[in-house]
Amino acid sequence: MNNGMDIIESEDTQDEVLRILIADDNDSDRLILQTIVRKEGHVVYTARDGQEAIDTFREKSPDLVLLDALMPNVDGFEAARTIKQLAGDNLVPIIFLTSLRDATSLADCLAAGGLDFLSKPYNRIILQAKIKAFASMRRLHETVQQQRDEISLHNDRLIHEQEVAKQVFDNIAHPGCIDAPNIKYLLSPMAVFNGDLVLASRKPSGGMYVFLGDFTGHGLPAAIGAMPVSEIFYGMALKGFSLQDILREINKKLKRILPVGVFCCACMIDLSFRKGSAEIWVGGLPDVLIYRTKKHELENLRSTHLPLGVVDNDRFDTESQIVQLTKGDKILLWSDGIIEATNDEDEMFGEDRVREVILATQDPDHIFDNIEKAVEIHTGRDEQDDDYTMVEATMVNESELGDYFGERGVSHFAGGPKDWSMTYELRPQTLKEFNPLPLITHLLMEVPGLRPHSGKIYTMLSELYSNALEHGVLDLHSDLKASADGFARYYMERTQKLESLNEGYVKFYIDHKPVTDGGVLTIMVEDTGKGFDYLAKEKANHRTEGYSGRGIPLINTMCRSVKYLGKGNQVEVIFDWHVDV
Amino acid sequence: MTNIEDHLDIEALKDLKDIMENEFETLVNTFITDSQSKLDELDEVVAADDAEAIRKLSHSLKGSSSNVCALKLSEMARELEAMGKDQQTAGAQELLLRLKQEFENVSQVLRNNL
Repeated sequence: MNNGMDIIESEDTQDEVLRILIADDNDSDRLILQTIVRKEGHVVYTARDGQEAIDTFREKSPDLVLLDALMPNVDGFEAARTIKQLAGDNLVPIIFLTSLRDATSLADCLAAGGLDFLSKPYNRIILQAKIKAFASMRRLHETVQQQRDEISLHNDRLIHEQEVAKQVFDNIAHPGCIDAPNIKYLLSPMAVFNGDLVLASRKPSGGMYVFLGDFTGHGLPAAIGAMPVSEIFYGMALKGFSLQDILREINKKLKRILPVGVFCCACMIDLSFRKGSAEIWVGGLPDVLIYRTKKHELENLRSTHLPLGVVDNDRFDTESQIVQLTKGDKILLWSDGIIEATNDEDEMFGEDRVREVILATQDPDHIFDNIEKAVEIHTGRDEQDDDYTMVEATMVNESELGDYFGERGVSHFAGGPKDWSMTYELRPQTLKEFNPLPLITHLLMEVPGLRPHSGKIYTMLSELYSNALEHGVLDLHSDLKASADGFARYYMERTQKLESLNEGYVKFYIDHKPVTDGGVLTIMVEDTGKGFDYLAKEKANHRTEGYSGRGIPLINTMCRSVKYLGKGNQVEVIFDWHVDV
Repeated sequence: MTNIEDHLDIEALKDLKDIMENEFETLVNTFITDSQSKLDELDEVVAADDAEAIRKLSHSLKGSSSNVCALKLSEMARELEAMGKDQQTAGAQELLLRLKQEFENVSQVLRNNL
């Protein structure tokens, strides 16, 4: 956009050639004027009366018009009015040539669209100055017009780009399970351009992740970060990564891609419906409120971390706060939009009002709507044009959420690996540092049609893997976990043994064979532990009972068979699956 | 004619001549022809006591004579214009006579300056 600069530069050059129309009925006056103007290097068109002036203007569209006021036929005033009309948006300076002196006549000139006067006898220096002044005025006007057009063009383009970006964003940040029955949320349709982001995903192992993000800034810069966040969130949630893993990955990505000063205030919740608890991480957002339904009380959960994308991962802290919840308890989170919504007196809505509204609400189901209404009343605006973003997540029984299908939409059955097997052996160094489950889950999810079963598969894999690692390779006894005291000891021992581990392995043998409308998945896990007398247990406990702590009863409900082999250090699970129609 | 400078701004006329160069002669001829026809018209309108026409013609003459540096002529045209404008045309006849005399003087000086 250097146009402006070019024009300003050329202002200093003396020899800009203008095309100037001179209209005067007096031959000698016109002769003098056109001689002077021509000598200045400009192109001159002449006219002898108002009508000729109009015609010439129409034909030549000159840059400047010198117009005698009193002329036969059409006089100067009328000619000026017509010329202005013809010029439309363009500024064509009209200078009246006149020896009229009385105020009324001069006012008439101005009213007709004249910008200045030149009186007789003509003075060459004054004429020169006026031509220069009006030429630069005209250029300025052109620049302004050009910029106005450019701005409007840019604006159109910006809106178009935002629409495209929004579409791309919506494709990446599909709503996940945000419409689950235990979630309520408020998010304007173009919120991504306010930097606000709400994501929710069921976890393969049960439970649910909820994420609220608020990027600094507005428009595209704020929206750009939302895309990788969504992609990481949904991708990792689906593969069974932990809250800590996901936060670290998002932080790493944002730190790398965002410029200094742009970051994402966020809150992420891991809701566990089975345990009746929530793991919460808050970085830079207003206090999260926990509403206790039974006691009708509120607890604050303060942000204890920096926003995402501020510090490098080695200084990034994923320590979360764990909250026990009973059925019906609610977690309320928001961006600062609600808290900072101002009324006409510039008074913020504030957290106190939020608390008042909640505590004044008898039916917990109405809390969310009442807050929304109270903010609208406070600001006096009923249109949701502000960046109010708010989420309410309620603790429910998992069964109330319906079936988990991992990903929305129809699965793809075409393409992808269906008939294969693999062996994956994890040796001590890997066992110490790496969780193989997301990778294996990811691999299995490539099997066309298998994705809706990812929850069960993940559960089976994780049970089998922890058995093989903890009871097999590390030789830990699950009896320990029976008491609270022992639980802690168990994990201490686990850490110690894992640290000093220098031999042994866990080996996965995975085989998938396609059948009509589904497949057979065989997972065999072998470890280098001592094994155990599974035959005795099978006889005594009728297949499923008594493999204390090994999670086998759970797995048994999910698959065709669970079989121990060898000395009890091998286990084989056969899982039949079918496409649900 | 008593003194040229009472009738014309000699300095300004020199400048004008410099600017006009070859066109100066054309200018002088144009001015004389144009003014002569205006004076003829003025004869008629003064006789007819048409104040508005007097105003317009003398206004035009005032402008063109000032442009050829004929200060006295321009001043007399201004007086006549004022009469037309105020519709006080008593004495217009007599003023027009003096104006014509002045025009003769100016024409002569201009021609001599070619």
